[in-house]
Amino acid sequence: MTRIRIDYGKCTGCHHCETACSLSHLENIVNPKRSRIRVFTKGDTFCPVIAGPFTDAECTSKLSVIIDGQEYDECTICRASCPVKPVFKEPDNGIPLKCDMCGEPPNPQCVKWCASGALTLIES
Amino acid sequence: MGNAYAGQVLRVNLTKGDWEVEELDMDLAERFIGGRGIGGKILFDEVDPNVDPLGPDNKLIFATGPLTGTGAPTGCRYMVVAKSPLTGTIGYANSGGYFGAELKYAGYDVIIFEGKSEKPVYLSIDDDEIELKPASHLWGKTTTETDALIKAELEDQWRAGDTRIACIGPAGEKLVRIAAIMTENSAAARTGLAAVMGSKNLKAIAVRGTKGLRVADGESFRGKVLELVDVFRDHPAYGQEGTMHVYGTAAGMALGNVAGALPTRNFSGGVFEAAEAELDPQVMKDTTTVRPKGCFACPIACKRISKTTAPGFEGHGEGPEFETLCLLGICCGVNNLQAIIKAGFICNEMGLDTISTGVTIACAMELYERGFLTEAEAGFKLNFGNAEALVALTRKIGLREGFGDILAEGAYRMAEKYGHPEVFIGAKKMEMPAHHARGLQGMGLGYATSNRGACHNSAMMSSAEFPAIGTGTITEGKPQLVKTNQELMAVIDSCGLCAFAPGVLMPEGILLLFNTATGLNFEWEDLMLAGERIWNQERLFNLKAGFTKADDTVSRRMLEEPLPDGPAEGNVLRLDEMLPEYYRLRGWDENGIPSEAKLAALGLD
Repeated sequence: MTRIRIDYGKCTGCHHCETACSLSHLENIVNPKRSRIRVFTKGDTFCPVIAGPFTDAECTSKLSVIIDGQEYDECTICRASCPVKPVFKEPDNGIPLKCDMCGEPPNPQCVKWCASGALTLIES
Repeated sequence: MGNAYAGQVLRVNLTKGDWEVEELDMDLAERFIGGRGIGGKILFDEVDPNVDPLGPDNKLIFATGPLTGTGAPTGCRYMVVAKSPLTGTIGYANSGGYFGAELKYAGYDVIIFEGKSEKPVYLSIDDDEIELKPASHLWGKTTTETDALIKAELEDQWRAGDTRIACIGPAGEKLVRIAAIMTENSAAARTGLAAVMGSKNLKAIAVRGTKGLRVADGESFRGKVLELVDVFRDHPAYGQEGTMHVYGTAAGMALGNVAGALPTRNFSGGVFEAAEAELDPQVMKDTTTVRPKGCFACPIACKRISKTTAPGFEGHGEGPEFETLCLLGICCGVNNLQAIIKAGFICNEMGLDTISTGVTIACAMELYERGFLTEAEAGFKLNFGNAEALVALTRKIGLREGFGDILAEGAYRMAEKYGHPEVFIGAKKMEMPAHHARGLQGMGLGYATSNRGACHNSAMMSSAEFPAIGTGTITEGKPQLVKTNQELMAVIDSCGLCAFAPGVLMPEGILLLFNTATGLNFEWEDLMLAGERIWNQERLFNLKAGFTKADDTVSRRMLEEPLPDGPAEGNVLRLDEMLPEYYRLRGWDENGIPSEAKLAALGLD
């Protein structure tokens, strides 16, 4: 199984993955707001989040997660395209966006553009 | 939407409180590229070069480049252009961060601010929704406070997270002539343009854009970026294990010391005892660095998020850059790393140029040590190396408090006030960066001829003269090298790329990215010709503002006092060996005035 491995410790917050994603899915368009990977900032940490499933309902429970002393609102690092988040949706029409690993076999462009080593492709 | 360019110019009249959206003139874009080029051209066309820089008739221009936001490696930069209140020349200041890309995603290449608002305001841009909002509650706030307060006004965390803000701190509001415009701890630092922003009662610009950009040939563009990212990834300076990524720009410290090119104690010497000890980048990495940070689309990530814990200097923020360490540190004779970093944090919060702030404090220290300034006047025992005074004075400059009010005018005006203008080190009243003009002849010529005063990036001679120690003291060939580099940097600054980009991208990468993004079919010579056009356009502004050949010089210390230490010991800057040839190569007469033939060839007649 091919996975994208995300290392928050290495991400520098350069958002290059967002430009890679939009350019590869939209041909000649670069637009981070239409990217299926987004990088969110929490304190001194940059959190790349890759779009997962669409859900038509908001979570009924809300979580806070503490990782290495940094508290995250779980929504920040959640992968879902959901009603309470404007991310992972087309800005114009709200159509949900989901990572497709850039096709079959997987060839995610975000990983290829990531110079910091935060995104790598692994087999597990 | 065109290709690579967003295609629109937003013109805001602060006096009337209204704005209009204009189409970007693509002919202008082809001739002046973008960023510094387009900004300078607009300034020349629309602003009388003799205008009061801090009056309502000066204009403040924010200009991105065609590669800003496209995903071209390091393509994040925006340029602020206005007549400078520090130098009186054309002023321009370049910044990284995320603001430039976001501005283009909202649909604008350029913003032009005219007039002066009656009350403090900030400009809010959310795609097509534009609003001038009250900012009285933000006045007096530091730059990170301003950032947080504006984001808190937005309706949700997601919108706030996407919003990028460029703002001034207390220094810009108080018209400090060495004040910097900040975006998330990245500075458009030089030439005091935050004071122009403050003079217009403009506290900030907040922008969010969802429109994105179009590139002409996405497939070729992506292919080239991918190829370049692979080069960056394994590069000895810029890669994951590279010195710039691991240590930040401070990686240059040992090189500067070995070359004897450091600004020790107000540029009295070129080596500094602590450069390879207390101020060694490894010490910084081990004690204060939290993590590297990358500007938008940057594979290098040379910025530092840092934390200081030393008693009295506790803080959290970004930096220090090599320049910050050198000028707030070495130039002031300070070897206390955490104090220097703390002073850098304060500069970021106040919105101050760390270079000019450091040189100005160092200048005051020399005045004090030589008995031209008393402890009673300064409020401190201002001896070189006084870390407490450094930190305290930095804040006072930002707030124009006490003696800080005098330093807030910059080193030249302060030194003149105390009757010793020769103690000011710089060019055209702008303080000199951390590369000696005596050991590095090309750097010196670059300082003397830069259109914005002592600037190390206008000719980027450090990369040409540092690696080959021994060639720095040679004048032969330097006029041509300086001219070429000045034009190259005008291209880089106008494309929206970083000064570090040429190290990997040159020249084929820049050209291919430019052509595949814009759809223009330039040759390298076309880009370099645009660079020469931009340089001459800036020169014309300065000539109209009253600058002459006599201003193409640097402080007397560089020209007359031999460097006392290091490998370049005994050298002075031999400007007279280089300047006439430089003028000749530029197609200027012996007084530095462009010939009619040159202007015609550049289409500037």
